[in-house]
Amino acid sequence: MDFDVISPKTREALLEAMDACQDKKYRFGAGYTDLINDLNANPQEDLTVINLAQLQDDVFSNITEDDSGLHIGALVTAAQVLENEYVQTHFPVLWEAANSVASMQIRQTATLAGNICQASPSGDMSCALVALNAVCDIINTRDEMRIEPLANFFRGVKKTSLAKYEILRSIFIPKNIQYNIKSGYVKIGTRVSMEIAILSVAYHLQVDEKNIIAAAGIAIGAVAPTIKYTQTACEFLIGRSLYEIKDVVLENFSSQVLNYATPISDVRASAWYRTTVLENVTKIIFD
Amino acid sequence: MNKNLKIIGKSTPKLDGKERVTGSAVYGHDIDLPNMLHGMILRTKYPCANIISIDTSAAKALEGVACVITAADVDVNMIGYKRDHPILKSNTVNCNRDEIAAVAATSKEIARKALSLIKVEYEVKQGVYDPFEALLEASPTLNERGKGLEQFGNKNMAESFHYEHGDLEAQKARSKVIVTKRYETSRVTHCCLGTSNITASYSKLDGSLTLWASTQVPFLYQRDIAHALKMDASKIRVLQPIIGGGFGSKLDMHPFEPICALLSIQTGKPVQILYDREEEFLASPTRQPMVIDLTTGADAEGRFTFREVKIVLDNGAYTSWGATTPFVMMQTYSSLYQVPACWFQADAVYTNNPFAGSFRGYGNPQATFSIETNIDLMAKELGIGKDEIRLINANYKGEITGQGLHFKTCGAQPALEKVIAESAYKEKINRGDTGRYRRGIGLASMLHVGGGAKIYRSDGCGTRLKLDHYGYLTIITGSNEIGQGSETILAMIAVEELGIPMDKIKVINTDTDVKPWDVGVHASRTSFVAGNSMLGAVKLIKEKLSKEAMKLLSIDAADFDYKDGSMFSSEKEIKIDKVVREMHFGSNELCQVEYFYEPPSSFQDKRFMGDVSGNYAFASQAIEVEVDTVTGNVKVMDVWVSQDVGRVLNPVGLQGQMEGGIATGIGFALTEEMIYAEGKLINPSFHGYKLLTSMDMPTVHFFPIETYDEAGPYGSKGAGEAPLIPTAAAIANAVADAIGVEFFSLPISAEKVLKALATVKENQLV
Ligand SMILES: Cc1cc2nc3c(=O)[nH]c(=O)nc-3n(C[C@H](O)[C@H](O)[C@H](O)COP(=O)(O)OP(=O)(O)OC[C@H]3O[C@@H](n4cnc5c(N)ncnc54)[C@H](O)[C@@H]3O)c2cc1C
Repeated sequence: MDFDVISPKTREALLEAMDACQDKKYRFGAGYTDLINDLNANPQEDLTVINLAQLQDDVFSNITEDDSGLHIGALVTAAQVLENEYVQTHFPVLWEAANSVASMQIRQTATLAGNICQASPSGDMSCALVALNAVCDIINTRDEMRIEPLANFFRGVKKTSLAKYEILRSIFIPKNIQYNIKSGYVKIGTRVSMEIAILSVAYHLQVDEKNIIAAAGIAIGAVAPTIKYTQTACEFLIGRSLYEIKDVVLENFSSQVLNYATPISDVRASAWYRTTVLENVTKIIFD
Repeated sequence: MNKNLKIIGKSTPKLDGKERVTGSAVYGHDIDLPNMLHGMILRTKYPCANIISIDTSAAKALEGVACVITAADVDVNMIGYKRDHPILKSNTVNCNRDEIAAVAATSKEIARKALSLIKVEYEVKQGVYDPFEALLEASPTLNERGKGLEQFGNKNMAESFHYEHGDLEAQKARSKVIVTKRYETSRVTHCCLGTSNITASYSKLDGSLTLWASTQVPFLYQRDIAHALKMDASKIRVLQPIIGGGFGSKLDMHPFEPICALLSIQTGKPVQILYDREEEFLASPTRQPMVIDLTTGADAEGRFTFREVKIVLDNGAYTSWGATTPFVMMQTYSSLYQVPACWFQADAVYTNNPFAGSFRGYGNPQATFSIETNIDLMAKELGIGKDEIRLINANYKGEITGQGLHFKTCGAQPALEKVIAESAYKEKINRGDTGRYRRGIGLASMLHVGGGAKIYRSDGCGTRLKLDHYGYLTIITGSNEIGQGSETILAMIAVEELGIPMDKIKVINTDTDVKPWDVGVHASRTSFVAGNSMLGAVKLIKEKLSKEAMKLLSIDAADFDYKDGSMFSSEKEIKIDKVVREMHFGSNELCQVEYFYEPPSSFQDKRFMGDVSGNYAFASQAIEVEVDTVTGNVKVMDVWVSQDVGRVLNPVGLQGQMEGGIATGIGFALTEEMIYAEGKLINPSFHGYKLLTSMDMPTVHFFPIETYDEAGPYGSKGAGEAPLIPTAAAIANAVADAIGVEFFSLPISAEKVLKALATVKENQLV
């Protein structure tokens, strides 16, 4: 594996580096836990890596909250997500997803943007963020910003909407509208740690004082080429009492979720297994 | 036997522990010699094909390439247990590991590039991947060197074992229950964290070859390399760097090893071959996948009557030591519990799959899985407790089994009783949980050799002791350390017997030019055999020391105590270093001794009858699992293990063996499987191959049983393989208890469990 490395320290230098690379093959490197595997599997000649690890930029590196919600910089690691109190209290789904990534060692270096831009259907933090209706903050070489809902950002396995002249800068998660939440991440796999999801379900439900579901975000991972936001299943839940979701209603909800799944069979599990377990899991999240 | 011991029985850290955890240990991968070249192997693209042509010209022309070899360039012998395996393949390739060419270059990158420049033209053939298909008349001959037709009546049979004792038909007639089942076990691999590696350095000056090799059997290896390369064995020096995991994988010599030597011979430079993880999965040995048709019976009281078993082993394309696993399995079928009659047939059949090798347990985990599952089925049919039926039939002290194994000590019954009590088995069994999570408990026992196994001409081990005039002891042992902790045991014996402090003891065990003969590390034999050899040498050095000390102290007769570097007799004390100084510089004599120990075991006869081991280890495990009916995942909650180890030598080391063995056993039971599509491995990584991690480990409650067997050092027995042998069986029984469905094939994957649960549900609805 042989490549050139540019390590910009400021945003200006970063944008310059990107600009200079427009005619070349280049990749960003953040925590490198995906990139190195990628390059090992598909060696590339004349590659430049723009190394983000030394970048000093608050928007890229920090977690900040404001009235509208939480901004998480692209370079924030899974370990940092886990330490954040706002995440712990308001977005348990993200906390659980970050906690399920690989192992403690990998979590120290794996970044949020790396997880997202890898665009793997089994990205754990990505799945939780889709359930949270997260929005991407993307800038281009001219320092112009565009925003895009994360669910739209994914365009296929390892495919995103990012243009060559763009970079993901941060992620925004809108604030909860209700105080009461039922939020969690179910990751199915063989091992307790060091496991890539065979399938996953991220759910983030917000209920009012009467336990009526006021907002619902449910995303499923590893059962389609991209992580899926299960729009109709989410809409189906709005206005219902949390305690009403059983029997026929539950069956109905479950089949709404399953509509978004087009699983494949691979070495780790068959499509039958993925479908069956997805159905089973949708039925236990209200327990 | 029960004298007050100073260090034996007390937890002692491993001698190489500090090096290992600080990263200063030198593994084969760390070796870097001047002018060293990097070797790499071109393996076949297809598991079964004719080779039409090989063109290495472009690779040879690449700058930095020192040499490229194919079968045409070398004059070598066949390798393997049956000498049916060419080191480099020329006319045909027969499995997806097959080596076609090798390069040596100045860097790994150049070597890799050179491989990509070698052009091989294939004529792809349809392979045979199912041993039963291979046995059919219509199948092609899968290994041209095989002698199956002459020896066993089928051209694709690589090896065959038959054993029987007792009157099978009479025992069948008196059986109240007879249970027949087919068991299937999967192909799993050792997953050594240190991947395969070798460094070879050939001297054109004197024709000597030095190998830094991760072998478990250096002297057999030396002989195998010599045979492969048509060299004098003594021209070959084998040095063993610290080994990053053995577990049986390094019992056979594999093609990459003589290939590396050949590259060094051709170039006259040192050459190193290191596997990456993918190559490790692809090309290192595996456990034998087996199909076991087992019929067992019991009478109305639950006493076992007979076992009848027919086993087909997938031998793969070539024959390794793995083909001899039936030798161990027949002991289990004939002698685990009391068995009046046994009929055993095992055939290893050539296929186009990769060949297996030896793996901790050596066939015994597969055999035990089948027997212990069948026992539960018989108990169920008879309406007897699954614990009770085992106790009724347990092996006992003094028993001479149908095969002639003589259990001079036997902890089988105490081990069973211990795990039944400690796990609260009686309260937990048949709980009948109905919710999402369902708990179950399972029981299984095992029998394994504990005092070596007489299969090679000598099962012995040599020891040399050298005491220097500073009071330091060097133990030069024939035995090998591959992480199991036996060198620490030898040092502990020296502390115990000679009172020399631990930090004044060195163990030399890595150089065939220096160390005396030993057959190798396998069969749970090392602490037993090397420990006994050590004790023999200690006796001799004590004689030497007391002779000199008596002279120096002017006493006629004395029985010395050895403590803190000194010798004591009544009120008199003399320092050992002083005795040695006087011996060297006064009597002009070295303080060195040597001893060779050969265990009292005997060869089995042609019918495989005989007392093959110095003693026997027994163990039982009770395992509690929790099945998640949503996902099908089986979680192992607790393992209670009780094992007759004769005597505990190093508690912390023993606990390590238990936990490591059980981890492998759990993987074998639940998650590990090499998956092949038409002979090609499709999960050659830890991503796809589910080796468990420390996070998946249950609590292991270990209760050693001490039976003080007089054959073993301080009464001990071999303990290394045992902990994984009954694990899969106990887990299978526990899962059956939890969800009411029995599993006859491994691994019991989440998917299989979920399918079984779905089938049960369907049947209930009908
Ligand atoms: C052993 C192991 C276990 C793993 N287990 C898990 C797991 O359990 N769950 C899981 O979800 N993942 C897992 N992963 C994958 C990986 O660790 C995560 O996806 C991680 O979050 C990637 O982050 P990174 O910073 O290492 O990304 P990198 O490897 O640095 O980059 C990944 C990709 O994102 C691009 N990229 C990075 N930053 C940006 C940016 N700001 N803008 C645009 N593109 C960018 C890179 O160019 C590259 O294509 C595992 C990986 C390994 C090696």
